[in-house]
Amino acid sequence: MRRWTVRTHLAGLVALAAVACARGEHAPAAGPAVTDDAGRRVALAVPARRIVSLLPSFTEILFAIGAGHRLVGRTAWCDYPPAALAVPSVGDGIPPNVEAVAARRPDLVVLYRSGQNATAAEQLERLGIRTVLLDLNRLEELAPAARRLGVLTGRTAAGDSLARAMDSLVSQSPQSPTPSPESLVFLVWDNPPIVIGAGSYLDRLAGLAGARNVFHDIAAPSAQVSIETIAARNPDFIAVLSDTAAPPRYAGRPEWRVVPAVRKRRFLFLPGGLFGRPGPRAREAVRELRRRLETTP
Amino acid sequence: MKYVVLAGAALATLAAALLVGPANLPLADLPGSAIVWQLRLPRAVLAFLVGGALGVAGTSLQALVRNPLADPFLLGLSGGAGLGAVAAIALHLPGPWALPLAAFVGAVGAMALVYRLGLMGGAELDPRILLLGGVAVGAFAAAITTALVSLAQATELRNAFLWLWGGFSGASWTTVLVMLAYAPLPLGVLVASARPLDLLALGEEPAQYLGADVRRLKRVVYLAASLLTAAAVAVAGVIGFVGLVVPHLCRLVWGRLHRTLLPTAFLTGGILLAAADTLARTVVAPRELPVGIVTALLGVPVFAFLLRRWTVS
Repeated sequence: MRRWTVRTHLAGLVALAAVACARGEHAPAAGPAVTDDAGRRVALAVPARRIVSLLPSFTEILFAIGAGHRLVGRTAWCDYPPAALAVPSVGDGIPPNVEAVAARRPDLVVLYRSGQNATAAEQLERLGIRTVLLDLNRLEELAPAARRLGVLTGRTAAGDSLARAMDSLVSQSPQSPTPSPESLVFLVWDNPPIVIGAGSYLDRLAGLAGARNVFHDIAAPSAQVSIETIAARNPDFIAVLSDTAAPPRYAGRPEWRVVPAVRKRRFLFLPGGLFGRPGPRAREAVRELRRRLETTP
Repeated sequence: MKYVVLAGAALATLAAALLVGPANLPLADLPGSAIVWQLRLPRAVLAFLVGGALGVAGTSLQALVRNPLADPFLLGLSGGAGLGAVAAIALHLPGPWALPLAAFVGAVGAMALVYRLGLMGGAELDPRILLLGGVAVGAFAAAITTALVSLAQATELRNAFLWLWGGFSGASWTTVLVMLAYAPLPLGVLVASARPLDLLALGEEPAQYLGADVRRLKRVVYLAASLLTAAAVAVAGVIGFVGLVVPHLCRLVWGRLHRTLLPTAFLTGGILLAAADTLARTVVAPRELPVGIVTALLGVPVFAFLLRRWTVS
C-alpha cells in the first residue's frame, strides 16, 4: 500500500516535470547534471559527496580536480595518488561487486562504460544509487571525462582546467626531434602476440613523444598479429609495460629473434603505474617515453 | 592411391604456407629470408605435426572409449594444461620454455589422475569411468585456473587464456625438433595397436576371445594418445575440433580399419591444421585469427557435407 502511494506520488512528480518541460520552464534550483557516454542523463540534487570510482583513471582524475576526499570506494587497482590507497577498496571495477559498492552508501558511482558495467549500473540505479558511465580508451576522452566529473562533484572550474590541460596536450602537433621518427611496437603479450593499435591511448602517447606506432593502421585498441608481421614492420623498439627492466621471457626464444629489435634487445620498459592507463599524468608519461627513447641504446 | 593424393595435398599445403604470409615478401627474396626459414617453415611443419598428432590421438581415443564424441581434450588434458600454464605465469617461472613445460606437466598430471580413477575398484579403464573422470578432472582444474586468474592481481594472467585458445605463434625449429623427437614413439605404439583396436570395436569380450589383450591394449592406447595430446598442447595450446572431426572424416571416406585410418587421420589432420594456420595468418592481415576458429570454419562444412552424403547413402 505504502509502496503504491510512493509510486503514484512519483508518477505525479514525473507528470509535473513533464508539464514543466513542455512549457519550456527549467526545474527550479537544479543540481549538477551531465549526459554520460551511454547517452543517459545523470542529474544530482546536490554535488556528489560520497563517490565510488571504479576505474584507476577516474580515481586519478577525481584527486586531480580536488574531489579525492569525497571518495568512499575505489577498485583494488587504484594505486595513484598514494592518498587513494587510504580509500576502502571494493575489489574489481569491470564488472564491480554491486553489493560491495552499495555497502559504501555512495551517492555517485563512476563506471567505465562496458557491457557488464552497464548492467551493474542498472542494478545500482535500482537500489537508488546514481551512476555515470564514461568512456576512457583514448587520450581524447580524458578532457570530456574530467569536465563531467567536475560538474558532478561541484568542482566545475577544476574539472574545466584539467580538461583544458588535457585538450592542449592532445591537440599538440606530435613533435619529433628527428625528421624520421623512431618506430615502436607496444607488445602486450607474446603468445599469441597482442599489440596496441590506434584505438588505444598508448598509440597517441607514442605520437606525442615523437615515435611512430608501427600498428597505427589497426583501428582497434589491441589486436593479435603474427611475429612475421612484427618482423616485417621492423620497429626500432619493443615497448612493454613492465616495472622491472628484466628482458621478457620470450626474448630468448628463436622465433622472436627474427625481429631485429628483439635480437638487439631494444626494449622500452614502461612502468605500469604511469603507462598502464590514460590519466591526468599523460604529459608526464609523454616526457618519460621521450626520455626512454633517447636513452635506450 | 589415397596416400599419393594425401601426400600431394600435404606438400601443396606446406608450399602455400611458405609462399604466403602477412609480410608480402617478393618471390626472389623467399629463399634467403629469415622470415621464411625461421618463422613460416617451422610454423607450417609444427602445425602439420600437431594436426597429425591430434588426428591420430582422436581416432585412437574414439576407438578406446567407443564414443563418437570423444576428443583428445575430453579426458581432462586441456584443464590440466591450462592450470600448468597459469601456474607458470603466476609463479613467474623463469626461462623461455617455462610455460610449455608447465602446460605439459599439468596435462600429464591430469592424465595420470584420470588413469588412476579409471583403475579404481578394478574398473580397468571402463570407458564410462574414463569419460566421467576426464570431464570431472578437467572441470576441477579449469575451476582452479579460473579462480587463480580472477583473484590474481596480475593482468598478464588473463592473457594465459589467450595462449590456451591455441595457436602456432610459439613455433620455432626447437619446438619442431621437440615434436619430431617425441611424437614417433606414441604414434608408433598407436599404429602398432591398429589391429587390436579393430577388434575392440566389436566389444571388449569379443575382442578378448579373438586374441586381443584388451587390458593391456586399453592402458597402452590411453597412455600413448594422452602423451601425444599433452605434447601437442605444450607446443600449441588447446586446438579443438581437429581431434574430434578428422577421425570421423577419415572413417566416412576410407572406412573403419585402423591400419588405414590412423595414417590417413595423421595426414588429414596435418593438412587441415597447416591450411587453417596459413589462412589464420593471412586472411585478416595485419591481424591474425585464432587458428581454432579457422579449423572449425573449414572443417564443419566439409564434415556436414560428408555426413549428409553418408546418411543419404
